[in-house]
Amino acid sequence: MDDQVWITLARALAFSTPLLWAALGEIIVERSGVVNLGVEGMMILGAIAGFAVAQTTGDPWVGLLAAMAAGGAAALLHAVFAVLLRSDPYVSGLALTIFGLGLSGLIGRAWVGRPLQNAMEPISLPGLASLPVVGEIVFGRQHILTWGGLLAALILWVLLHHTRLGLIVRTVGENPAAADAAGLPVLRIRILTVVFGGVMAGVAGGFLSLAYRPSWGQGMTNGLGWIALALAIFALWDPLRAVFAALLFGAFFTLAYSLQSQFPPQLLTMMPYLFTILALTFTAVRKGRGAFGAPEALGRPYARGER
Amino acid sequence: MRRLFIALLFLASLPFASAQDDPLKVAFIYVSPAGDYGFSYAHELARQKVDAHFGDAIETVFVEAVPEPDVEPTIDQLVADGADVILGTSFGYGDGILAAAPRYPDVIFGWGTGYQRAPNVFTYMADLYQPYYLNGMIAAGLSETGQLGYVAAFPISEVKRHINAFTLGAREVNPDATVDVRWLFNWFDPAGTKEATEAMIAEGVDVIAFTEDTPTAIQTAAEYDVPSFSHYASMVEFSPETVASGHLVNWEVIYIDFLQKVLDGTYTSDNLSDVDYFWLLEDDAVELGSEPGVKIADAFVEPLQNTMVDHPELGSISVYDLVMDRHDKMVAGRDVYDPFLGPVVDRNGNEVYEAGYLPTIGDLTSLEWAAPGVVGAWDNEPQ
Amino acid sequence: MLPFRLEKRGVPSAGLIWGVSLAAVAVAMLLTGVLFAFFGVPPIEAFRTIVERTILDARGLSEVVRRAIPLMLAGVGLTLAFRANFWNIGAEGQLLIGATAASGIALFSGLPAGAMLPTMLLAAFLAGAAWGLLPALLKTRLGVNEIITTLMMNYVAIYIVRWLINGPWKGPSLGGFSYTERFAPEAVLPTIGTTRLHWPTLLLAIALALFVAWLLARTRFGFEARMMGESPEAARYAGVNFFKTTLTLILVSAGAAGLAGFGEVAGIHQRLVDPGSLSLGYGYTAIIVALLARKNPVAALVTALLLGWVAASGDVMKISLGLPSQITGVTSGLVLLSIIGSEPFLRYRLVRREPARTPSEAI
Repeated sequence: MDDQVWITLARALAFSTPLLWAALGEIIVERSGVVNLGVEGMMILGAIAGFAVAQTTGDPWVGLLAAMAAGGAAALLHAVFAVLLRSDPYVSGLALTIFGLGLSGLIGRAWVGRPLQNAMEPISLPGLASLPVVGEIVFGRQHILTWGGLLAALILWVLLHHTRLGLIVRTVGENPAAADAAGLPVLRIRILTVVFGGVMAGVAGGFLSLAYRPSWGQGMTNGLGWIALALAIFALWDPLRAVFAALLFGAFFTLAYSLQSQFPPQLLTMMPYLFTILALTFTAVRKGRGAFGAPEALGRPYARGER
Repeated sequence: MRRLFIALLFLASLPFASAQDDPLKVAFIYVSPAGDYGFSYAHELARQKVDAHFGDAIETVFVEAVPEPDVEPTIDQLVADGADVILGTSFGYGDGILAAAPRYPDVIFGWGTGYQRAPNVFTYMADLYQPYYLNGMIAAGLSETGQLGYVAAFPISEVKRHINAFTLGAREVNPDATVDVRWLFNWFDPAGTKEATEAMIAEGVDVIAFTEDTPTAIQTAAEYDVPSFSHYASMVEFSPETVASGHLVNWEVIYIDFLQKVLDGTYTSDNLSDVDYFWLLEDDAVELGSEPGVKIADAFVEPLQNTMVDHPELGSISVYDLVMDRHDKMVAGRDVYDPFLGPVVDRNGNEVYEAGYLPTIGDLTSLEWAAPGVVGAWDNEPQ
Repeated sequence: MLPFRLEKRGVPSAGLIWGVSLAAVAVAMLLTGVLFAFFGVPPIEAFRTIVERTILDARGLSEVVRRAIPLMLAGVGLTLAFRANFWNIGAEGQLLIGATAASGIALFSGLPAGAMLPTMLLAAFLAGAAWGLLPALLKTRLGVNEIITTLMMNYVAIYIVRWLINGPWKGPSLGGFSYTERFAPEAVLPTIGTTRLHWPTLLLAIALALFVAWLLARTRFGFEARMMGESPEAARYAGVNFFKTTLTLILVSAGAAGLAGFGEVAGIHQRLVDPGSLSLGYGYTAIIVALLARKNPVAALVTALLLGWVAASGDVMKISLGLPSQITGVTSGLVLLSIIGSEPFLRYRLVRREPARTPSEAI
């Protein structure tokens, strides 16, 4: 039974990897005041680009670069529409998801139904993997990107909260007018964060098609992009909290398969969303109205002199 | 090629262009993209074989990724394009097909895996329970722990029947074998399949079977060197070393038989009310194999030949020979050998079929009980 | 630094709106045409077939309108919420819960024929409204961002429906397939001829659009709602009751999405089915409908038809033109992207940048 806990943790780590990468990206995007509902679209474009390039070159890491580039390019589209042209960010994000799902399917026709020749192999973390009981189960065979996601969360947390760069991003998201007045290039920063978010979603998609399930299938992200969006919010826009949130989401997902004789799996899979609402409510009640850390200017395109 | 196709379409729509030797136009409707592995892919392979078999006598088209509620407008469009026979391959198309059929009394409809017919609607099914039974035998022969795993899509009769057959097969080889079942409540769910497979392997399962529309279970099991089975079509490419055998479906056998009878004039749009295909190993509509023609993958033949069991009826026999014995008898006919021939009890000890009773197709398609050895949640189980 | 900058326009003229919108559609068609050509289908021929099958053909047209009905109902409701700056992303969930409530009445109430459909309609409206109420309360009372809560509520609704059709409400006669039993005939909406056009819901959508337009233009509530959206500070100063107004508008907005769910189950499916089959993303498309209509409820009827047509065209592409099914997502995406790409032209004009501006000029 003790093993069961560690097994759940190990699977939660693996399953939460794509969620974490994509959510970290979205956290940075939303911290700068932009909402991108196109995570699912960017993720799946990353998945097909990664797969196609890895299959062609034989190197999954080159594939990962392609996945990042594809995610970033897709995000650039959103940046142009939602930030530069100040179109509606929600429609732009939704359009990006629809477009991404369609385009990836179209490109993917040539790649469907074939396994990846050289997939990313899981690794054993030296030292930690030889711990008794926990070691082999938790540290024995995870992907590099799983540990990479945790590291990325730490780095982003430091950047966001303890560097000038982070302060700039947060200011742009909290009060773009003030940032502008202070001489910060608001739009340029937002474009960069949106593209960064796309690159991170690309990593998430690449992980799926290169490591988690090394093959291409149409619609293989299967809603994970939307979960990542929920996750960014559930984590209250904090990269470190995102790690725990991702693990919790991952645990619920895997438990839906190990506890299903005791509990309806649909209701277990529903929990993360319910928890997100509860987390927001609880934080608001505890800290007072609206004080749960949502970037003040979230979702509002910025133009000087407008509100 | 497509240009030609469009030109043909255009010609077909011209009045007076329809000469007497017009090919029979047969349209297939798939619920998912045709190229992906899984249910629709199996039908697409069959369509290509139908095309090759009939040559100029039949022209086939397909529409892929049609959501269940959209089948009716899809039928309208296909009829407008001149389809003579429309084959809806998914259970969920039933409402739409039965609603559209009276509107187009001259068009012949097929409802794959369906149960309700009409003068111009027939039903058909190529059922895999017999190959699943043989897969269960192979699984038990390969397992060290006696714990087998099954990733299952939905708790419908068809899937329950397959799990039961798999479990009964395993128990013929190893009376103590158990089959752990995890439900996805989804036909297409790679992430769910991955996690369900991982969870079972972590709990000691060392052979995996599944009903889901991707090769994910095979790929996941391969990471742990756990044997698995091709589902619908050959999935050997996804893990050449670990796919031991499988259950393959040859929908074209049914399609060719039916369409030949349409061409002959045996079947018309007003005599289909009793036409129901439920075809099995004996009809060659399904097949045991990791890939067509390979019943058991080479690497697994020897281990199975070296594993001996004490069989109550056949004495000391290798698992390999036992599988082949059961296989050949089922190919000879349901009356020669059937895994569900009574006496059969369920896992709660109730007698399901009394001694000597051979369940009818109707019994099998409404099956709800769980075989002894099945472990896990079971919807709507008789107590 | 770009040599041009965007400068805000005043209220765009009707001519400009038409011109820009048509230009956007033209661009989308041009891009789609290129895609057709790439797949070896002559574009002109392709568009001709699409128009013949979707607009000139009665049955094809009925499918366009049939698809537009849920988009109209949910989209009109969203125009009201968006006007008041309440970002309801939750129409999908409200639609699903409305469909669930209607199905519950249809399956288990045993009401007589005359009372069945009205009760289903009312239940769907109330359930949809209730699903919107929680985010509205959280926003007005605790300041919780409604975009997030309404989005989350969609998922809760999806899993509730999945749980019901896989568990307690699963039809016993279906061999374990995840649907409820079929509704009795008295719980099914009439349709025009043999089409699937459930006309009572269409009339309901039109009536709702006129009602919301009237609310917005002629009532104190509408005035307050618009003021909340256009200038919250002024609204607060003028003593607008944000709480009451928000609750009222979400009642109508989310209730309308609930009605769309009623139309889908009572008019099309005649049972509760998987969320993915039940709605095909209507609740999300309705956001696009409302925003393309520039938050005008009557215009939302037109944009709903436009998007219904895009969806129906996708069918023609894959069925009659033999194009790969994935192309429909690409073309829908192209249409949306070119329309939202055109939107700034209505709000801004390009102005040559004057050389002597402050260096901190944006971009």
